Amino acid sequence: MRFRTFCYFWSEALRNIRRNVNLISLGTIAASLFILGAFFLIILNLNHLTDNLTSRIEIRVFLKDGVTARDREALKTRIWALGGIKTIDFISKEEGLKRLKEQLGDDEGILTAMDFNPLPDAFSIKVAKPESVKALASRIARLPGVESVNYGHGLVERLFALVKAVWVITLALSVIFISAIIMIIGNTIRLTLIARRREVEIMKLVGATDWFIRWPFLLEGMLVGLTGAIVSAVALYFLYGFAVRRFMSALPFIPVVTGGVALRQLCIGLLAAGATMGAIASVVFLRKYLRA
Amino acid sequence: MIRLHNVSKVYPNGVVALAGVDLRIERGEFVFLVGPSGAGKTTFMNMIIRHVLPTSGQVIVNGKNVVRLKPWEVPYLRRTIGTIFQDFKLLPNKTVYDNVAFALQVIDAPGREIRKKVPAVLDLVGLADRANELPHQLSGGEQQRVSIARAIVNSPTVLLADEPTGNLDFDTSWGIMELLLKINGRGTTIIMATHNKMIVDRMKKRVIEIDKGKIVRDESEGVYGREV
Ligand SMILES: Nc1ncnc2c1ncn2[C@@H]1O[C@H](COP(=O)(O)OP(=O)(O)OP(=O)(O)O)[C@@H](O)[C@H]1O
Ligand SMILES: [Mg+2]
Repeated sequence: MRFRTFCYFWSEALRNIRRNVNLISLGTIAASLFILGAFFLIILNLNHLTDNLTSRIEIRVFLKDGVTARDREALKTRIWALGGIKTIDFISKEEGLKRLKEQLGDDEGILTAMDFNPLPDAFSIKVAKPESVKALASRIARLPGVESVNYGHGLVERLFALVKAVWVITLALSVIFISAIIMIIGNTIRLTLIARRREVEIMKLVGATDWFIRWPFLLEGMLVGLTGAIVSAVALYFLYGFAVRRFMSALPFIPVVTGGVALRQLCIGLLAAGATMGAIASVVFLRKYLRA
Repeated sequence: MIRLHNVSKVYPNGVVALAGVDLRIERGEFVFLVGPSGAGKTTFMNMIIRHVLPTSGQVIVNGKNVVRLKPWEVPYLRRTIGTIFQDFKLLPNKTVYDNVAFALQVIDAPGREIRKKVPAVLDLVGLADRANELPHQLSGGEQQRVSIARAIVNSPTVLLADEPTGNLDFDTSWGIMELLLKINGRGTTIIMATHNKMIVDRMKKRVIEIDKGKIVRDESEGVYGREV
């Protein structure tokens, strides 16, 4: 491609954008990408939170009173045999009491006031896959010698379900917003085609290749998509930083993704998505016309 | 050079524009295409540049069947054929110079070549001093000459001229005929559709008469119409 031709493509694209692109369409594109980006940030944080919680998750298996050391070993073997288990630790009632006292700290007086140990013997189990906690716990509960099982009230399951739901919503929104963006950019391409009908007709008749005709439209679509994406990425970048700071000072014990690499990758992803959608829109809308 | 085998064209609206045309035009020929309005002359020309596809039959240009060209080959066919359109097809917002240069720009020609060739053809059609004007500032005949300049600027091997003297008085028309003769003298095949009896009669070139989509006459040194 000659430099002059390269310049021609760009000047055509910019001229067409100045003519046919308005703030409403750019704003709609930016807003759509912004909302999508926000949903991906929510997913990012939910994943972060789940990871954080699952590393701490455990099943506590309380044993019946009077279970002998041999029964205990047998039970341990049967639990191992269920599979999906990382570690099993035995916590005797004495050990359990000691830990409880440590946790209570200054309030340990409540316990010293009691003259017997209310805690049963227990196993503390770490699982390999957090998703399997519930199923595993209910199978362990049915084993002989087990009094009861505690596994954090299904918090992790609920978190997983939430992540799944947010994914579904995000994908559904992606379909809607991506189609909307492609329609909006396609429409500016259509307007340009109408305004440039004569030029394009003459170009074809004097022997311009399809790609020569296509380039300015392709650039136009990509630039429009990219412009919308830049606006959304910048807004997302700064608003997220602001939101994270507010969140962390209000709820410091909940872990959040503070931005950094993940946020930058998301912003770059948005830019790429905007440009790609613009390219798709222009190719799709031109196709019919060029083949005519 | 150009061959038509049993070519027919029926437009989607049912109009039969060409019906079973067989034709052979050799390299370097000068051919007049005559016949009443609606006979199918423009359709014939559009078929040679593959702007219109035949409903049946074969159109062979430079040894290639244009119907079977791949989409990417079509532009290269069109670069070897210059067309003076009946309706000029000039761009109203471009100057005379830019209209002519456009034909070279969009085929990615070198800037050097454009700067050399465009003034030369404008000179040839007598519009060198109007280069910076817009089409609407020109008379009909001058616009016609711009479209001639654009058709020949790429030194085509075939020149299709669809009524290139349609809007001109006899002297100007004759000026254009001399120009076409000159181009023809360089080896360019010329096919010219016209209603201009005086010109056809004077030139004594091959005349093909079409009526209702059929060739009704093909004479090597013909005249516009049969003597009554
Ligand atoms: N795109 C089209 N769709 C439908 N019918 C068409 C189309 N183009 C031409 N026709 C019809 O085909 C016939 C031949 O048209 P064509 O333009 O080839 O005639 P022509 O010989 O060039 O006439 P003229 O001397 O008036 O320019 C006419 O009846 C015309 O109405
Ligand atoms: Mg015609």
